[in-house]
Amino acid sequence: MPGFSSGGVGGGVGVPATAPPRPFRPSRYVPVSAATTFLVGSTTLFFCFTCPWLSEYFSFVIPIYVAVIFLFTLANFCMATFMDPGVFPRAEEDEDKEDDFRAPLYKTVEIKGIQVRMKWCSTCRFYRPPRCSHCSVCDNCVEDFDHHCPWVNNCIGRRNYRHFFLFLLSLTTHIMNVFGFGLVYVLHHRQQLDTPHAAVTMAVMCVAGLFFVPVAGLTGFHIVLVARGRTTNEQVTGKFRGGVNPFTNGCLRNISHVLCSSQAPRYMGRWRSPQAVEVQPPFLRPPLTEAQLEAKVLDNGIQNDRHSTRSKSSLDQMESQSADAEPPPPPKPELRYPGLPRADTEESSLLTEAPTTPSMYKYRPAYSSPGRNHTALTHPNKMIRGESLDSPSPSILQSSHQPSYRSEPSSLDGATVVGGGVGARRGGGERGEGPGGPGGTAGGISGGMSGYSLTGRSYTSYPSSLVLSTGGSRSSSLRSAQTAHNPLATLHSEGTTDTSYKSLANQTPRNGSLSYDSLLTPSESPEFESAAHELSPQKPHAPFPSATITGQPEVVSPSTRLQGYTSPFLSAQFAQQREGQLLQGSVTFSSPHRAYLRAVSPPPPASSGLPEIQHLLQHNQDSSSRASRNPSSSSSSPGARSLEPPVSPPPRGLSLGKSQSYMGEARPQHKTRPTGGGTVLGGGAAGGGQQAPQSTSRPVLANHTTSKPAGGVKKVTGVGGTTYEISV
Amino acid sequence: MYRYTHSWIRRYTSYLQGKNKAVDKSTKRDPLDSIKMTHSLQDMRQQAAIAAKVFIQRDYTNGTVCQFQTKFPSELETRIDKQQFEETVRTLNNLYAEAEKLGSQSYIEGCLACLTAYTIFLCMETHYEKVLKKIAKYIQEQNDKIYAPRGLLLTDPIERGLRVIEVTIFEDRSLTR
Repeated sequence: MPGFSSGGVGGGVGVPATAPPRPFRPSRYVPVSAATTFLVGSTTLFFCFTCPWLSEYFSFVIPIYVAVIFLFTLANFCMATFMDPGVFPRAEEDEDKEDDFRAPLYKTVEIKGIQVRMKWCSTCRFYRPPRCSHCSVCDNCVEDFDHHCPWVNNCIGRRNYRHFFLFLLSLTTHIMNVFGFGLVYVLHHRQQLDTPHAAVTMAVMCVAGLFFVPVAGLTGFHIVLVARGRTTNEQVTGKFRGGVNPFTNGCLRNISHVLCSSQAPRYMGRWRSPQAVEVQPPFLRPPLTEAQLEAKVLDNGIQNDRHSTRSKSSLDQMESQSADAEPPPPPKPELRYPGLPRADTEESSLLTEAPTTPSMYKYRPAYSSPGRNHTALTHPNKMIRGESLDSPSPSILQSSHQPSYRSEPSSLDGATVVGGGVGARRGGGERGEGPGGPGGTAGGISGGMSGYSLTGRSYTSYPSSLVLSTGGSRSSSLRSAQTAHNPLATLHSEGTTDTSYKSLANQTPRNGSLSYDSLLTPSESPEFESAAHELSPQKPHAPFPSATITGQPEVVSPSTRLQGYTSPFLSAQFAQQREGQLLQGSVTFSSPHRAYLRAVSPPPPASSGLPEIQHLLQHNQDSSSRASRNPSSSSSSPGARSLEPPVSPPPRGLSLGKSQSYMGEARPQHKTRPTGGGTVLGGGAAGGGQQAPQSTSRPVLANHTTSKPAGGVKKVTGVGGTTYEISV
Repeated sequence: MYRYTHSWIRRYTSYLQGKNKAVDKSTKRDPLDSIKMTHSLQDMRQQAAIAAKVFIQRDYTNGTVCQFQTKFPSELETRIDKQQFEETVRTLNNLYAEAEKLGSQSYIEGCLACLTAYTIFLCMETHYEKVLKKIAKYIQEQNDKIYAPRGLLLTDPIERGLRVIEVTIFEDRSLTR
């Protein structure tokens, strides 16, 4: 059986997320056609050549029994092939409104006491429910995603897992039947083996015997999975290898859930009943309590919206901080309803401060698979502003960009408000999670993993994000990241995904399907805590796109973090001034244009233990300690601006990106590369995020392409044509 | 020469006539269009405008069982009673739990489906679908009785893939006037 990589032969590059009609790829249909041909063909031959004698010699029950099993196999095969596996419809735009630029890439939920991460799906525009995964072959998020099976050319998910499982069981039985009865026939016709009947029977036996090994292996594998209450995806990515599976209810319950539960409903293609309800003012209002009345009086006529009160302080702060920084950003394009209360528009203007260039937030560059080359993941809104997952809370709470952070708790609480909530979404998530696997070589891969498309995901415990994060939480998150069970420790987080923003993920549709080999390479599994990965020496070439300036204060201490948040540029400036004093990794920038610079924080002390981190730490501490001395003055944007002129002369000239608005938000980025010094980008970083090691791979901010460090000099290009060389 | 100019005149006049015809056609369309436009404008004025949307997320504390968070969103505080809202969500959660229950009905349904090679689904509705119909009716009734008079509208979560309950808040123009 030739091995096919699903979708690989006929040009298996995925289409961009927004292209609705997918190109017809005939190669996808080869395995399923082959499977159907073999199944139906062999069984037909068996019935024609072997069964007549069997029914005469033994009894007529045998062909009937074989036929029943065969029909059952065929029925389950058809159901597994044609049934919707549980595809989620794309989220409507309203659901997505809030953020795009600031929402985190991950949201954590607690399931039976275990922290589970929900990732933002940039294609489908929602946070994937637990156990949901996005199949790159089908370009859909599938509920309870098991795997993409090329033999049925369909995803196996919640709705059709039962049929798939029964198909495997019945196929194993059928193969055994055919082989067994064929053997009986051959043994009885030892002297007449040259007859066509015997020859055909032997051929059918060969085919059956050939297929028996992989099918039985796969069946056994799935029996174990069902008993344990796991999906193939979870098993293969080792999510619960050392830990506890929150989705299991005991062996018996798991089996009964698979076999006996009512068929889950379809989400796609449902008939929508027309809304017959007419909503007309005047509307009833609940009676106000005494406290509410008082509050209204004191409110001084401010419109009811709670967001306004929440965001007000942040508004004030932001204005004060960035008063001189830059002109107010252009308003976000009208995605909201015309009837929004004032507060919301305030907030929306707040939110829209991110893009300084009007056209830029619509820019959606093509996304090439992260981990391979972080080319120009330019997103104007720079998620930089976005919060990093571990952004230190003090800076977050105080700083302005904080409407997004502010709303984080509400979004985490579950009531996502369109008008007010500003969740930041992190971009850079990889979209294609169901890679066209290596297709299935018939030669059974042990464990029946052939033909499985796997997504690299992990349920490592994830620190609760942004809003609630504090300095302490950052370290705790780091700790949890490290202790989190991380079976694919060698996997390199996809560089960009951890701590990257939804906007980046949204704008970069992933066209490459993750193939099996990508699974094997470390660049898989963006969801794994990047702490271990990025610091691991296995990744000599970190996909770290940004040129960085060392010396992010955040990295060093929470207090500096706070300040560093407000003025990364200033710290960068100081770092720059002290460039001569830096030991290594001097960064030279030649940037005639403004470019985005990302602050890269050296790995936090908590994650130390790796030589390069220590090294980086020392490195950064020098500059960061100096930079941290100027936190107060850093808040002024002029400080950031002033960086520009002095920048050019010195070899390490910094050119500030257009994102002046991100000034206060420059986030230290953790440098993934073990070589060279830690570099810090002053770029917009949200909330001074000290991103735990995860944040290191933040393609979003970078907008750069980094070539792999080859010896002496790395060339980094930023948006707008800025190039700088980093000498390592 | 004369013949040429004559033919040219003929051609030119026919061209002008053609143009006029085109103009006539457009003028013919105009009155109807304006009538239709004003009519739709009136329609728009009658329907309330959407002010905001609140999304009630799923509650995953018990695994992937379909449950929605009963936490009362702050945006609805001025619009509806907390108890009322939580009651609605709790009822919905109970209905979904009933749909996903591993009971005798689902077991019998499964067996029957296996025996008939799943052809029974062509004529019969699954247990889950039956409960979904019940849920749709409940939501419709809640909208009619409780939410629409308050300027709110619940959207059946099945339309969103059972991920969120979308609550549409309508603008209260009576206040602004």
